[in-house]
Amino acid sequence: MHLLQQWTEANAFLIWLRESPSIWAYPTVFFAHTIGLVFTAGASLVISARLLGAARHLPIAPLARFFRAIWIGVWLTAMSGLVMLASDLETKLTNRLFPVKMTLVVCAVALMVVLRRRVEQSSESASTRALAAVSLLCWLGAVAAGRFMAYF
Amino acid sequence: MKAWWIVPVWKTLHYFAIALVVGIVGLVDLRIVGVAKGLPLRPLQRLMPWAVVAFAVAAASGYALLRLNPANSFGPPVNVAFAGKILFLLLIGLNDMLYFATGLKRQVDAVGAGERTSVSARIVAGVSLVLWIGVVYWSRMLTFLAGAI
Repeated sequence: MHLLQQWTEANAFLIWLRESPSIWAYPTVFFAHTIGLVFTAGASLVISARLLGAARHLPIAPLARFFRAIWIGVWLTAMSGLVMLASDLETKLTNRLFPVKMTLVVCAVALMVVLRRRVEQSSESASTRALAAVSLLCWLGAVAAGRFMAYF
Repeated sequence: MKAWWIVPVWKTLHYFAIALVVGIVGLVDLRIVGVAKGLPLRPLQRLMPWAVVAFAVAAASGYALLRLNPANSFGPPVNVAFAGKILFLLLIGLNDMLYFATGLKRQVDAVGAGERTSVSARIVAGVSLVLWIGVVYWSRMLTFLAGAI
């Protein structure tokens, strides 16, 4: 842990990211994080809403094709998040809300994997609906925790 | 003295609403462009009224945030990112008006499962995607570009 912290503090790219006043440094990585998350969470919310019974006239199975685009969003969010975490390891790791946010994100992404299979099977079973509801709450909680982190 | 949690609560609501708008619009635009062709477009486009509701929530919470910290957007000098965001939202409105006025919306409604949309519909949807990504970009830059020029 100590070694990792030393490395992140000495890494030239991370120093630039942390200290450069350029709009192409931290703000740009932050934007990548935001756009990836907005699309991932937004599209997941829509698919969950469909599984929960909204827009009944919409066939479920073809929605599975959107998961590839959603995964691109997940990777963009994860990679930019990792870079921002490394650039400010101590502040983030000592934030009380950070573990809450990460738990919710891991749950939400794990549920995405499960829900993709349910979507492919056009499943509208009670368990699918329960998973969709939990996924929805995880994303809402993760976004809220991420927002509130700045105040803790 | 305002409670510390007022701003993050409005921001969280603002983000939820934006995620929903971009989620719905993004999926509809992606389908028009050619992703998930198995989806018929009429039922997919019926999600759009929900995007309008979410947009109203985003606009209302955005207005509340503007009132809480007007200097960040209005300056002086006016925040470039704020101007960019408003400009892009106006362009989105124009693009959507074009979509309805030219009858493209009805034409796209008739596109069933497995069918391709027309080139003009794909251009309008592509422009919409780029503009919405731009709106999120300017929103993210709001704090960084305050008082920049």
